[in-house]
Amino acid sequence: MPGTQTDGTVVQTRGLTVYYGRHRGIVDVDLSIRQGEVFGFLGPNGAGKTTTQRVLLDVIRPTGGSARIFGLDCRRDGTAVRKRVGYLPGELALYGQMTGRRFLDFISSMKPSGVAPAFRRALCERLELDTGRRIKEYSRGNKQKLGVVAAFMARPDLLILDEPTTGLDPLKQQVVIELVREARAEGRTVFFSSHILQEVQTVCDRVGIIREGRLLTIDTVADLTRQQFKRLQLTLRDAPPAGAFDVEGVTELGRDGNTITLEIRDNLPRVMEEALRYGLADLETRTVSLEEIFLAYYGNESAGGAQ
Amino acid sequence: MIGLMLHELRARWRSVLGWTLGLIALGVTYIGVYPQAAEEMRSLAGLEIYQALGIQMATFEGYIASVVVQFVPVLLGIYAILVGTRTLAGEEDEGTLEILLAQPVRRWQIVLVKAFSIAVAMGVIVVLAGLACAGTLRAFLDQVDTSVTPMDLFLAVLSGWPISMAFAMISLFLGAFLPGRRIASMVAAVVLIVSYFGETLTGMVSSLETIEPVSLFTYFDSSPTVFTEGVRGKDIGILLGIGAVFLGLAVLSFARRNVTVGAWPWTRNRAPAGRAFPSN
Repeated sequence: MPGTQTDGTVVQTRGLTVYYGRHRGIVDVDLSIRQGEVFGFLGPNGAGKTTTQRVLLDVIRPTGGSARIFGLDCRRDGTAVRKRVGYLPGELALYGQMTGRRFLDFISSMKPSGVAPAFRRALCERLELDTGRRIKEYSRGNKQKLGVVAAFMARPDLLILDEPTTGLDPLKQQVVIELVREARAEGRTVFFSSHILQEVQTVCDRVGIIREGRLLTIDTVADLTRQQFKRLQLTLRDAPPAGAFDVEGVTELGRDGNTITLEIRDNLPRVMEEALRYGLADLETRTVSLEEIFLAYYGNESAGGAQ
Repeated sequence: MIGLMLHELRARWRSVLGWTLGLIALGVTYIGVYPQAAEEMRSLAGLEIYQALGIQMATFEGYIASVVVQFVPVLLGIYAILVGTRTLAGEEDEGTLEILLAQPVRRWQIVLVKAFSIAVAMGVIVVLAGLACAGTLRAFLDQVDTSVTPMDLFLAVLSGWPISMAFAMISLFLGAFLPGRRIASMVAAVVLIVSYFGETLTGMVSSLETIEPVSLFTYFDSSPTVFTEGVRGKDIGILLGIGAVFLGLAVLSFARRNVTVGAWPWTRNRAPAGRAFPSN
C-alpha cells in the first residue's frame, strides 16, 4: 500500500493531546494501527474516542503530539490523507433537503479515486436503503445506513468508523460487521470506535481501551482476555473455611457448597497450594469476556456507558 | 471542487427565490404606486424625520432613491447576515461541517467556494430585482415626470451588491471566528444597524460623526445623485476591498481553528496553565 510505513503502520500517534481550554480531550495517546487490521477503540462516552478520530481527520487540531496516517502528517498533508480515508462520524449530521442519492453523488464528487456505481448500489441494496427520499424524511437508522454507504463506497484504504452500528437494527448491524470483515479481507484497515463490547470482540483484531482521555492498554482481544485476570472454578473435597483464599490478588466471587469461583490477578501458586490442602477434585478455567475486562478497567461507576 | 460548488448553489436556490421575490415586490410596489401617490408623497417631503433620515419625497428621483435604492442593501444586508453566519457557523452548529471536512478538500477551498456561492446568490437577487424595478419604471414612464431611465434605476439597484457582499463577508468571518451562529448573527446585526444609523443619523446627531467613516453606508450612494452622476467607482472599490479583507480573515480563522468544538478563539488549542506539550 503506497504511503504505508515500512513496518506496515497505517495510523500512528505519539503523545497526542487535545485540550479544549481547561477541559481534557485526550492526553498523551500513543497509538499504532497496522495495515489490514481492524482496530477497536473502546471506551464509554466522553473517554476521548471521537476526539482522537477527529484529530486524525484534521477536524480538531492537537494541543500537542503528532498524528500520522500512511506516514503523512494529518494536518500538513491532510488533503492527501483524506483522499484515502472513509469516515463515518459518531454524531452524523446530514443535509436534510437532499435526497440520499444526491448526498452520495455529492460525496462521490469529492473522491478523487471515484466511486464504482455498481459497488455503491450493492451497498445500498445490502443495507436496504432507499436513496430516493429526502434525508429529512429518513429515520435515524436510515441516516446511519447512508453514512455507512458514504464511508465505504469509495473503497478507502482506511476506514474510520465512530460507533458505526448506532441506530441500526440487529440485522443491519450484522451487515456493517460483514462490511468491516470484507474490508479487512481486501487488505484495508479499519479504525473502529465503539462502546458496544460484543461487536468489538466479534470483529476487532486488536483493541485499545481509553479512559478519561488516556489510552490504558492496547492488545489483541485474545491476549486481553487471557492476561488480565483468570477465573477459576475449584471443586474441593473438603469445604474450606471462609477466608481460606484471602490472598493478595485473589477475589472469591462465589461459593456453592464445595465449589468456589475465584478471580485471580496474582499469587496463583498460593491458590493452588490452598486448593490442594482441601482436596482439589476438579478445576475449571472460565473464559473472561471483554466486557468483564472493560468493567475491570472502568469500575462499576463508569460501566453504565458500556453495553 | 465543482461538486462542492454545485452543492452550494443548489443549497441556496430556495432562499434566492424567496429574497428575489421579496425585493421585486418591494420595488414594483413602490414604483407602481408612485403615479397615484405623487402628490401625497410631495406633501410628506417636509417631515423632519424624513429630512433627518435623508429621505427625499419631493421628486420621483428622491422618492425612488429613498424607498428602493436605499432599502435594497438594508434588506439584502439582512440576507447577507443570515447566509454569511449560516455558511460556516450554522453548518458547524448543525454538524454537517464535519462530514465536509472529512473529504479531501482544503479548508480555504471550502471558504472560497462558499463565499463565491454567496456572491452568485446575491448577484442573482440584485440583478433580478433590478430588472424588475427597471421593467416597472419602463411600464409607468409615461406617467412620471423624471429623467431617470430604466437603465439608471437598474444600475442603482445593482450598486447594492458590493455593500451587501461586504456585510456577507463580515458575517462569514464572524461565523468562522466566533463560537456559534447565534453570537455571530448578533454581532453582525449590530454592525449592520450601527452602520446604517451611524450614516443616516449623522445629519441629526453630530456625536455620530465619528461612526461615519467606518459605516459601510458612507460608501453607498442612496441619494438622487446616483441617477445623475452614476455609482462612484471608488466607493465600489472600498466596499469590495472590505469584503476581500474579511474574506481573507475568514479563511485564516477557519484554517486555524478546531471545528465541532464551538469554543471562543482564545480558548482553542490551549493547554491548561502549567502544562506544555510538544507540537507536531
